[in-house]
Amino acid sequence: MRIELKKFGDILISRPAGREAYLIISSNLINVIKEEENIVIDFAGVKVLTPSWADEVITKLAENYFVKVENTGNPTVRETLKTLSRYSGLRVS
Amino acid sequence: MNDIFAIAYQWAKDDPPRKIDEKYYCETRDIFQSRLDSMVNLLLKNSKIAENDIYILSAIAGEIGNNSFDHNLGNWPDIAGAFFAYEFNKKELTVVLADRGRGILATLKRVKPELKNDEEALKTAFNEKISGRAPESRGNGLKFVKESIKQTKNHLTFISGTAKTELNEKMEISQAEKINGCLALISN
Repeated sequence: MRIELKKFGDILISRPAGREAYLIISSNLINVIKEEENIVIDFAGVKVLTPSWADEVITKLAENYFVKVENTGNPTVRETLKTLSRYSGLRVS
Repeated sequence: MNDIFAIAYQWAKDDPPRKIDEKYYCETRDIFQSRLDSMVNLLLKNSKIAENDIYILSAIAGEIGNNSFDHNLGNWPDIAGAFFAYEFNKKELTVVLADRGRGILATLKRVKPELKNDEEALKTAFNEKISGRAPESRGNGLKFVKESIKQTKNHLTFISGTAKTELNEKMEISQAEKINGCLALISN
């Protein structure tokens, strides 16, 4: 399953907004994801990402699913993923 | 001293607090988010600051501004909300954020009671894996801020209580005159 984060906005910074996004993603996943299926998170179009937003979405998804990330060229995306992997134990490929 | 910094500093320092101009005051997180979004779009359209620098500086401001709400909601000592202002010319940007919240020491003492003073609290907040909102295992924002500032060679002045840090490629912590809450000056 593929999740295009730009559909949640291009400036993703707050924890409450992240929680809301996670709830929506989770309710969609329950209905469509197949067992053993990977989740691809696509960061294309995201301009500003912070650990607060991402911790509520990416970290939580990665706790329950195998997560692959794509289009991580934006510097705030790169630095956020680095921070979460160092301090929140995030594991993505 | 930069004008918007002087206004924010006075607002954070004064007891009792004085009123600040509505254009700088974000009573709620929604107001802060919408002003930050506007800043990004304005900078992309009207400045000559590199696009990636705009994104990084905005992420730093977003993380610091959101911390004000994340760590003080329901616990504001007097005035709820945050100060947010910015100035830019073609290639230079200055962003100032402040709140009259509980400050880093009071927030971190909940999970690290052995912290003795504001200087220790600042050092911990910018360097150690810790959450100010236990039992949530969150709280990576200021580490992200530190790394982003270092990598992009920007500058951050951050004051909380009686401690101040100057952060660029290095981090130096010193004593400062007491303010309420936190105050940040980000510049490129």
